[in-house]
Amino acid sequence: MVLFSIPFNEITESFGAAVSCLSTSHLTDEVIRRSKRMILDTLGVGLLGTSTPVFNTVLQCSQQALENSKVWGRPGLSLPPQYAAFVNGVAVHSMDFDDTWHPATHPSGAVLPAVLALAETLPVKPSGLELLLAFNVGIEVQGRLLRFSKEAHNIPKRFHPPAVVGVMGSAAATAKLLGLPAAQSIAALAIACSSAGAPMANAATQTKPLHMGNAARGGLEATRLALLSLEGNTQILDLESGFGAFYPDYVPHPLAEVTPTSHYRWVLEDQNIAQKRFPAHLGMHWVADAAIEARAKFLDKCPNADLSQIKKITLRVPTSRYVDCPLPVSEHQARHSFQFNCCTALLDGEVTIETFSKSHMNRSALKEMLLKVQLENPQDNHSSFEKMYCEIAVETTQGEMFTARCNTFYGHWRKPLSHEDLVRKFRANASTVLSAEVVEGIIYTVDHLDTNQDCSMLWSYMHFNKHMMHRDECRSSQCNASLLNRSTFE
Amino acid sequence: INVCTQRSTRYLSAISAARGLHKSALDVAERPAPEETVTSSFGRFIQSVQPRHLSPTVLQRSKRMVLDSIGVGLLGSTTDVFELALQHCQHMYAPDDVSFVYGRQGVKLSPTLAAFVNGVAAHSMDFDDTWHPATHPSGAVLPALLAISDMFHNDSKPSGLDFLTAFNVGIEIQGWLMRFSNEAHNIPKRFHPPSVVGTMGSAAACARLLSLDRNQCSNALAIAASLAGAPMANAATQSKPLHIGNASRLGLEAALLASRGLEASPLVLDAVPGVAGFSAFYEDYAPNPITSLEEHEHSFLIETQDIAFKRFPAHLGMHWIADAAAVVHKTLAGLKGGSISPNQVQEILLRVPLSKYINRPFPETEHQARHSFQFNACTALLDGEVTVQSFHPEALQRPELLALLSRVRVEHPHDNPANFNIMYGEVEVTLVSGDVLRGRCDTFYGHWRNPLSQESLQKKFRSNAGAVLSNERVERLIEAVEGLDHLDDCKPLLAQLQ
Repeated sequence: MVLFSIPFNEITESFGAAVSCLSTSHLTDEVIRRSKRMILDTLGVGLLGTSTPVFNTVLQCSQQALENSKVWGRPGLSLPPQYAAFVNGVAVHSMDFDDTWHPATHPSGAVLPAVLALAETLPVKPSGLELLLAFNVGIEVQGRLLRFSKEAHNIPKRFHPPAVVGVMGSAAATAKLLGLPAAQSIAALAIACSSAGAPMANAATQTKPLHMGNAARGGLEATRLALLSLEGNTQILDLESGFGAFYPDYVPHPLAEVTPTSHYRWVLEDQNIAQKRFPAHLGMHWVADAAIEARAKFLDKCPNADLSQIKKITLRVPTSRYVDCPLPVSEHQARHSFQFNCCTALLDGEVTIETFSKSHMNRSALKEMLLKVQLENPQDNHSSFEKMYCEIAVETTQGEMFTARCNTFYGHWRKPLSHEDLVRKFRANASTVLSAEVVEGIIYTVDHLDTNQDCSMLWSYMHFNKHMMHRDECRSSQCNASLLNRSTFE
Repeated sequence: INVCTQRSTRYLSAISAARGLHKSALDVAERPAPEETVTSSFGRFIQSVQPRHLSPTVLQRSKRMVLDSIGVGLLGSTTDVFELALQHCQHMYAPDDVSFVYGRQGVKLSPTLAAFVNGVAAHSMDFDDTWHPATHPSGAVLPALLAISDMFHNDSKPSGLDFLTAFNVGIEIQGWLMRFSNEAHNIPKRFHPPSVVGTMGSAAACARLLSLDRNQCSNALAIAASLAGAPMANAATQSKPLHIGNASRLGLEAALLASRGLEASPLVLDAVPGVAGFSAFYEDYAPNPITSLEEHEHSFLIETQDIAFKRFPAHLGMHWIADAAAVVHKTLAGLKGGSISPNQVQEILLRVPLSKYINRPFPETEHQARHSFQFNACTALLDGEVTVQSFHPEALQRPELLALLSRVRVEHPHDNPANFNIMYGEVEVTLVSGDVLRGRCDTFYGHWRNPLSQESLQKKFRSNAGAVLSNERVERLIEAVEGLDHLDDCKPLLAQLQ
């Protein structure tokens, strides 16, 4: 690597230039493939999330303005694009079911809702490829920014990454979609930076999903403000007092120059993403896989064993305060609890969406088992999603010991979900809210996103809900079967 | 709070859940827990403080702050950035457009957007009040409270005293939070304080005016924490005013969300190792609970720490250097009889604290000029004072001014720390003739140690408000604020702003 002195002021400029110069010709097949998977997964997770209390709360709160962009899972309901991005972003992160990257953040939830909400309002709708480009610009900017800090490579302790880099990604993506020149893209980033940052303490609470919603909203708003010529600091990414404010070890670098004919190396190309199998913090997935294996060994040896024969459970996990929760009370805490996910996996052999329902959480067998768990934080177990592992040791009353270890859970970027399993997850999520035809329609549309000239079907599809009538429908006597046809003309 | 206590609290909750006890029963009425958390103490304070806790001094000072803030907001409604923010929000036309907009008679927005644009107006020219530790407290709180007041039904508007109580709660919370960090006592370097504590203050004030219960008040603060924090780099740019606008708006949103039942971290203000809450914004965070109103007489911070009102629209640091330069101007004018010519000046030396974002030798925009020791010193040297007009485009480009700017040198003496309570400003002008003229200012007129008289404050208000309102409305506003604590409802105040 050649070291040369980078003149002050080049970094932010390089970002602005990259954001405005990257074009569809720079998208590689691999990037297209991976990002389509991300989009599909995010949509499914978002639809599922529209059934949560937190989503309903923010929707009520935002409902007081004139409509513009569709709210997912609420036929007939639209909001100004920022608010649509906000509520849909909340939906995506409402159950901690959305994708996770390395360095750690949940990149798609901050970008997709904003891009779709904005696309819907444009007089000339973008093609699927343009949509994919904007999406990838938003992901790319997040990945680049995260690499400016070593601390960012570990499980976060101070600021929740989606609130830091997510809003920047949303600003970049929406700026790209609008085709803003470099100077205005820089302004969007600068304005967005003033909306960045939420402390970790609100993770494991009902407010956490708002971090995602606000990231999506803030980035979109920043772009709209930039479009109206609002300016911020043109060196926002260069300065310690700028984006550097969020890191103790901020060392930024300019992005490589982008020409119409050059090859661009996307971060997503080199660093794949993790997609979750169940709605909980990523760290829980190692625990679940290890516990499931230990359980299998246990039942293998003693086929009729009663799990109450377990005397002690030792979990060897990385140190991470906010996911160390011995007796979670709320579903949010449960999604952020090594102990809870371990015990559920031991009891049920799996962790699912249902796991976090009140009835499942209140099972006495589960609660008894929780009291038997002990956490250990071995030195060699780094607090990083790239390096961590989980080891479980189950001791029975008979004195037997069953151990298992998980280094890479299924769904991690090192062992990504198969296409079938990703689509299966999507179907399971989306069909809680959408009919089968609409579900298949979305799968088809996303799959063909890069070849589709008109992708407005995408947000139309997201606008259905098999349990609700379209607002206008209530006044007419038309039945559900015609809903699909109606939306085509909306 | 140590980890064990945390765990036992959750354990109790878990047991109660197992026994099927209703959660509120577990909260066990108003018996304060032996180890109350910092966060819950704040929630409790916001909910339980009453008008009778406001002392005369507090009433007087806070009314002054309200008056100044309205005036500054009205003037600010004439700026470009305000126009931009307003257009932006009007594009998001809201059906519940019930809240007024400064300087736009008949125009209404939804309460949150009104709080946003009016907050932008308040800080658009850096003309709003400054406190110690450093922040601009009123601009973050007042717009949100006014916006909410518009929401109340005509028959049930809050009384003037309720309004003042909520306002002071918003200021108080900001003061308390800043005292949790030594770093906060100096001119900021990382996060812009209004975006950090201002959001929290707005949330607290709104929670109070909406009469939320103490849990809701705590949650409002916690939700607001996730909406706080903007980096310093956008100071001295057109985006800076949005920091206050957003603080006001987002604090209001946090309170509204809390009122609908949204919950967040119950320990957001506590220092929990390994998980940052509000502590995320400081390197040295050491919180304390607010003392219970039942057990102690509460003394509002504004009582013992007054506030600074600016005489001209620029960063507070500029006021020292302007007053110091004005002294030199007076001497020079006396010597040479009349106007100052740059040709007489060989060199200008400024002795100021070290602070990168207000050290700008050749500012290019009005925003930069408001954050430039050099610009404000030279303007005061030329004109004898700095005014609203000093930052107009023509004034920025004056050849005499540019000539003086090129002769400026800056020093940062060790005894001049970047702290609004301790700093001073010194101007030393060496004339071509060889004479050396000096001016020094330790406490400018308007600083909390030498506060503006009521006449001066009203004069500033008349000048600001008069830019957009009729004389009649201006006088009625002065009257309404002056008598705020005696108003049965705040309609007289709101009516003049609609």
